[in-house]
Amino acid sequence: MRSFRQALTQSLAVKVILSTVLLSFGVISLTGSALNSRLADGIRSVSLDSALTEARFTFFNAQYQLILSQGGTVSSRKQIIAELVVSSSNQNVNEDGRDIIILKFPSENIANTSYEMSSAPIDPTSVPTALREKVRESRELQYQYAQSRYENRASADALFVGEPLKIPGGGMYEMYVVFTLNNQTETLTLIRNSLVLTGFALIFLIALITYLVVRQVVRPVREAARIAIQFTEGQFSQRMKIESKDEMASLAHSYNEMAQSIEQQISRLENLSRVQQRFVSDVSHELRTPLTTLRMASEVIYNQRSSFDPLVARSSELLAAQIDRFERLLEDLLEVSRFDAEVAVLEPVEFDALTLVRRCVADFELGEVPTDSGIRIQSDLSSVTIKADIRRVERIMRNLISNALDHADGKEVVVSIVATDTEVAIGVRDFGPGLDEPALIRVFDRFWRADPSRARIRGGTGLGLSIALEDARLHNGELDAWGRPGKGAHFVLTLPRVAGETIQGRPIKVAPKDFHEEYFFL
Amino acid sequence: MALVMVVDDDQDLAEMLGIVLTSSGFDVDLVSRGDEVLEIFRNNPPDLVLLDVMLPGIDGIEVCRLIRQESMVPIVMLSAKGETQDIVRGLEAGADDYMQKPFRDKAELIARIRTRLRRTNADVTGLLNIGDLVIDVTAHEVQRGATLIQLTRLEFDLLVALAKDPGRVFTRDALLSEVWGYRHSTDTRLVNVHVQRLRSKIEHDPEHPEIVMTVRGVGYKAGGPA
Repeated sequence: MRSFRQALTQSLAVKVILSTVLLSFGVISLTGSALNSRLADGIRSVSLDSALTEARFTFFNAQYQLILSQGGTVSSRKQIIAELVVSSSNQNVNEDGRDIIILKFPSENIANTSYEMSSAPIDPTSVPTALREKVRESRELQYQYAQSRYENRASADALFVGEPLKIPGGGMYEMYVVFTLNNQTETLTLIRNSLVLTGFALIFLIALITYLVVRQVVRPVREAARIAIQFTEGQFSQRMKIESKDEMASLAHSYNEMAQSIEQQISRLENLSRVQQRFVSDVSHELRTPLTTLRMASEVIYNQRSSFDPLVARSSELLAAQIDRFERLLEDLLEVSRFDAEVAVLEPVEFDALTLVRRCVADFELGEVPTDSGIRIQSDLSSVTIKADIRRVERIMRNLISNALDHADGKEVVVSIVATDTEVAIGVRDFGPGLDEPALIRVFDRFWRADPSRARIRGGTGLGLSIALEDARLHNGELDAWGRPGKGAHFVLTLPRVAGETIQGRPIKVAPKDFHEEYFFL
Repeated sequence: MALVMVVDDDQDLAEMLGIVLTSSGFDVDLVSRGDEVLEIFRNNPPDLVLLDVMLPGIDGIEVCRLIRQESMVPIVMLSAKGETQDIVRGLEAGADDYMQKPFRDKAELIARIRTRLRRTNADVTGLLNIGDLVIDVTAHEVQRGATLIQLTRLEFDLLVALAKDPGRVFTRDALLSEVWGYRHSTDTRLVNVHVQRLRSKIEHDPEHPEIVMTVRGVGYKAGGPA
């Protein structure tokens, strides 16, 4: 039922065929039944006329015979009537049967001799009472359609025609000629059956024709849909075939023009962004050689700083630090350009994520930049083996922890790890000034800073979170951010246990457990 | 004093490298064009070559291949591009090690150069038998029967590292620290490429190695003596 409804709503062909069939069914049954009743009426009136003529003749003949026999004995009268009944009836099976019934007027004296008679095997009581009354009252020829019954309990459609019969010396009688209508009924049935059959054949043919026509229209529509889907999937060179000059062709033509224009736009944009990415990548590479020289030179100077006067010594320290920062920025920029050019490659290996997190945390605790905030690792696990690009996961962790330390305001940073069969989640929570709604939207933007006036303690490049997000997505994972002003922030990395598979859920909710929403949306 | 040949088209960087190396006690020969390398190399054979990938004349990878044809001198490639392809191409052309610009610090550069210049398996002496090979560690020679097999210093070190303990499985990280002197590194391309190169020189059928064997998922080990 559901699939039928689906077919009805989704397939143009089914819809059109079904409505055509329903409509033609209505039209055909109307015209068919009209035709049937016209034909039946015609046939009936023709046979009625001939039956009446025949009956009239029979009655006349009977009356005439009886008048001729006036004065005869009862037995001779009975003899005449019996002959009349036999000669006028017809039991031939091939033709419509004709029976004769002679009944006495109920008003006649019962004591008198009864001349009531009928041709066997008809049951004389099958004459309808209403007809008998009419016959007696009108004294003229009357008729009625009714069922005739027979001694063998059979019955048939019949036409009863009656007229009063005066038996000289015998009183008033009613004489009936009963025409069975078997042939007529058969003819009518035949006509009706033929009409019904023709009707159904017509409906079937109409359905077939509709199907063929609809297919002709639907096929190019389906083809167009298929091509549009392929186009959507990135096969921009797909075009519709133009095979005719009808409306379909003009649709195909306009579609192809649109596709052409889109393809050109895309390739222009692709080209543009390729050129730009190439440029970023080239610039970064070109910067590396002078940066190497700078670095070594600054190191030579830096190593000699004890022999300089304090200002020059401090300058050499600043120089070395800034070259470091410059280098980190360059590396991040290169990484971003790799993501933009979609040439970033995942190199997954199996490793223990917990060990990695512990190592990252330990590195920060021993780090050059002292941190007042402690880092606490929260996990019930002893190890979590995952298959991922260890370099990238480590970079994500470093970025998240470094970001949290920068914003922790000296408060504790909590790193939690939860694993399921299909994914591993690592949350990094700080309790610093937090983030508001607009900040959350922009937190992964390149070079965006939560508070531009804040000191850059750790000297992040401003690209860390953006790269972390790209790294997570490269694994088919996700990086979510949560924050409330004054309540700190929470970043949750969710990775599939095997890089590239899809993540089913979020083992760690980004809204932290320690936080309860104080306001309800009304 | 060891002589280091620095090949880089960036004159300032070459000069800076010269200063750093000189101050660390090396003699330095500066070359700025790829097509000049071979002549200078022949006239004054260095103990080690620092070779930039992108050079005018002939590029660094080609230079590396040319040097390898006539010398087993240690070669360290310098690359401004960190792309895997460039690194692997350089290693396949015969470089022993590579460094990506900019170097983390001067100490790293010096450490790498020193590792390449010193004998890594100083504790091993005498003859080692592995497969049908005879390794004379003292004389720095590998022989199959009467045939002398030419190995670079690094290939020799790699072979000795494996052969001195036949059957023991070495992880790639262990080999990196033992042969290349890296302390933390996850760059296993170095090991992979060098094992391939070593096999192509010492194995009868490099596709089915019998001397340096792969232990799937772990690393490499040397087969025992034949």
